[in-house]
Parts: sequence; structure tokens; C-alpha cells
Amino acid sequence: MTLPILLIVLVGFGLAASAVAALYWAARNGQLQDFERGAQSIFDEGEPVGVPTDRVFRRRTRKPKSA
Amino acid sequence: MSATVEIPGGIAANRASSGLQVEGEVVQRVVVDRSCRLPVLFFFAAGLAWLLLGSLFGFIASFKMHHPEFLADWSWLTWGRVRVAHLNMVAYGWASQAGIGVGIWLMSRLCRAPLRAPGLTLVAGLFWNLGVTIGVAGILAGHSQSIEWLEFPKYATPLLFVAYALVGIWAVLMFVNRRPGHVYVSQWYLFAAFLWFPWLYGTANVIMQAFPLKGVTYGAVNWWFAHNVLGLWFTPIGLAAAYYMIPKVIGRPVHSYYLSALGFWSLALFYSWNGMHHLIGGPFPIWLITASVVASFMMLIPVLTVAINHHMTMRGHFGRLAESPTLRFTVFGAMIYTLVSLQGVSMAIPAWNKITHFTHYTVGHAHLGMYGFFSMIMFGSMYYIVPRLVGCEWRSPTLIKWHFWLSAYGIILMVLALSVGGFLQGAYLLDPATPFEYVVKSTMLFLQSRSVSGVAIASAHLIFGFHFALMLLRLGRTGGEATTFLSREVRS
Repeated sequence: MTLPILLIVLVGFGLAASAVAALYWAARNGQLQDFERGAQSIFDEGEPVGVPTDRVFRRRTRKPKSA
Repeated sequence: MSATVEIPGGIAANRASSGLQVEGEVVQRVVVDRSCRLPVLFFFAAGLAWLLLGSLFGFIASFKMHHPEFLADWSWLTWGRVRVAHLNMVAYGWASQAGIGVGIWLMSRLCRAPLRAPGLTLVAGLFWNLGVTIGVAGILAGHSQSIEWLEFPKYATPLLFVAYALVGIWAVLMFVNRRPGHVYVSQWYLFAAFLWFPWLYGTANVIMQAFPLKGVTYGAVNWWFAHNVLGLWFTPIGLAAAYYMIPKVIGRPVHSYYLSALGFWSLALFYSWNGMHHLIGGPFPIWLITASVVASFMMLIPVLTVAINHHMTMRGHFGRLAESPTLRFTVFGAMIYTLVSLQGVSMAIPAWNKITHFTHYTVGHAHLGMYGFFSMIMFGSMYYIVPRLVGCEWRSPTLIKWHFWLSAYGIILMVLALSVGGFLQGAYLLDPATPFEYVVKSTMLFLQSRSVSGVAIASAHLIFGFHFALMLLRLGRTGGEATTFLSREVRS
């Protein structure tokens, strides 16, 4: 009975330690600097800032006019 | 590499006209999307199947609340089993699988790398569905465990754990092999969720099933697990999707990326303390409950950072809600996230908890979170992801609109009915002068309303299931109009 509890507690500490390590890594790696650029990392030249990417409803209304 | 990529119907022409400058990026995105097609569609399809079945069971459970004689003659369909089956089907069958599907796609995109070890995710999916099937059958057969959110019988647990550990291993593989660059906030949320859940599930099962604890600690571990499933598994996945979808759809970076980082780390710090607020008034050490109530209030930090961030990102772009199904569902979900979290904080106040605890009010809160927040964001993400996997666009915007409004009105009606009904129920129960029969009868109207809302929500799911099946059969719209890989501005 005590062995599984000990294991669970150790794993819990391990997980908490890994979270601290992750935060430390993020700070050292520069992940927490230059937030402006971080926010833009999901955009690229193909799908740049300023261009919406999902206009299913819009297209329907346009289609008859152009066709 | 790019020359060998076969690009589905209609897109090749667009790509050619879009200019060479963007081609490398586009092809890379196509490669990434296509690499996760099979596993993601598998998780989505299986999740939707469970959603439809789970909705049916939810409706049966709801109907029995005001017509107890309905289907009461067969032990397999008695209320105690049907309700539990509903919860486990929608939580583990639908929500978790939709979350894993969205998570796989998002991780691949954000790691800017094709899916690694797709076989691993498929095996995980098979194990997961086998586990849920056996678990639900066990519950209906009467083998349910009396642990909320862990009702699956013991023999189903190892299957689910294996499936889950495989997903966790896959997440590590993906993360380690990502392309260099910034780790976006969604990735933090996803990676954390994929590692937290096996830990939660493993820990709870070891000390509740394999080597069960005794006495009140058992209840404490129960709520530590049950609450963390919501906060450390579903919430991070939902927020990861919202943090990607909202900026991506409107084409504008997150308002304050600093706040998003603060939100993630404060969620990681405070959430796991929250579970004990389910035990207010119970035979537990007072410090345990108090620490949890305090931590519940600390949740205001991550919740408000997310709320401010999403609102400020959307500001000036609310008009886009009319154009994008993804945005409509996701923003609805994000708004409900704020609402349901603030409601959750208020329910941790002991004086208010005294009224709402053990009433329909709590049931309303649970549905607001799991459906209004999480499921709606999953729907929104699926509307974005599926066209990019199958290479054609959703067949009918009308069906999407019906899905949205039936779901939205359904969940609002359900939560209103259960909140008002639950409050009255709680207030009457605290008054010793009110006869119990009167308390029960006074909730009747609200329970009937809940069944009506259940019909609306189930219809929404049928519509979505039908639409999704059309997409799987490639019966969606094709041609130059597709938004699947490039937006129209870039193409023209």
C-alpha cells in the first residue's frame, strides 16, 4: 500500500519539477522575449497578417453575381 | 518534394496563379495537413459517432427525469445507468476524441512538420474506442464504478490508459522533432494537456482502483481527478484551438501575446488545486477546502487574461462572424469559457455553494462548460480543419447555420432552465418547512424545458453528422472557390 503511494507522490513531484524546468527552458530559450514576433508565428507569406482564411458564408452570396 | 505533392481538386490552378513567392509555404502547409488526414479524420468520425449516441442517451436520461416510467422495465436502460453512459460517451467518446483530433492537426501545423508516427496515433485511436465501447457496455450491464468521471469498469481502464499513453508519447515525438522557431501558446497548452491527462488518469486509477485508498481521501482524490479532467485536459485543448483559430481566421495576431503566456502559466499553477471546492460542507479538513476555494478565486487571473485577449483580438472584426463558421463557433465557445469560469468561481463561494450544491444548477454548469465552451470550439475547429484534409469545401452554409443556431439556442435554453430550476430546488431544499414532494414537482417545468433543449441539440448533431459524412465521401463543393489551402485575396 505504501509503495504505490510513494510512487504516486514521486511522479507528482517529477511532474511539478518538469513544469519548473519547462518554464526555465522557455526563459533561457528566449521564448518569453519579443512577444510581438511570437504572436505572428502562425502567419506566413502564404497566409499573411491582414488576410482572413475562412469565409464559407461570404462566398455563397458572392457566387451568383460572378457566375 | 513539392513537385510530387498531389493537390486535390481545383487547388492546383490557384496555386499556380498565386505566384512562386508563396509556393514553398503553401506546399509545406499542404504536406502538413495531408500528413495527418487519416488519424484526424478517424478521431473526428469516431468522436461524432459517440456524440450522436451520447446525445440519444442524454435525451433518454433527461426524459426519464419527468417521465420516470419511460424505458424503466429493462435494467440496462434504467436512469442510473443511462445517465452515467451518457456522461462517459460524450466525455471520453466525443469530447476527448474531438480534442485529440484537433490536437494532432494543431500540433503538426504549429511544429511546422508533417505528422510523425501516424501509426501510433491510429493504434491509440483503436485502443481508445475499444476501451470506450467496453466501458460503456460495462456501465449499461451494471458494472459501473461509483466514482464520478471514472465510472468505466476496471476492465476497460487499461485499454484507455494504453491509448492515452501512446498519444502522450506521440506528443513528445512531435515536439522534439519540430522545426526550429517560436513555440506558439497553443502548443504549450496542447503539449501540457497531452502530458497531464495520462498522469491524472494513471494516478487516479492506481490509488482508487488498483490500490484503493480508504475513507475521505478517496473522495478527495475523486474530485481532484474529476475537476482536473476539465481544467487540465479539456480546457487547455479548447483554449489552444481558440488561440489558433481566432487570429488565423480574422488574419490578426493575438492582441497581447504577453497575456497569453501569463494565462497559460497561471492556469498550470492554480488549476490543479481547484477540485476540493466540490467538497464544501463535506467531512474534510477545513484547510483542504479553504485552499481550494482560494485557488478557485486565483483562476480569475487565467480566465480574465484569456477573456481580455480574445475580446481585444476580435475588436473591430466582429463583422467576420457573419462570414466564417469557424469563427462563429469558436468565438461563441470563447465567450462561454469566460462565463462558465466566472460561474464556476462563484460556485466555490461557500454561501452560494450551499444553495447550488446537489441541484440541477450544477448540471447546468457542467453542460455550459463541456458543451457551450468545449464542444462549440471543437465544432468550429472541425469546420476549419476538415476541408483542409479532404480537399473540398463544406457543401451547405445553410446546414452550418442550422447547426450553429440549434446548438446555441439549445445550450442557452438548457442552462437557463437548469439554473433557475436548480436554484429553486436548492432554496426549497434548505427550507425544512417545504415538503419534499413540492420541491420535486416544482422542478418539473424546468426538466421538461431541458428535454426540449436536448431535442434541439441532438438535431444539431444529426445535421452536423450528415454534413461531415458528405465531406468524408468528398461530396463537398470543389473548384476555384475553395478556401481550403489559400485565402481568396492571395489567389486573386
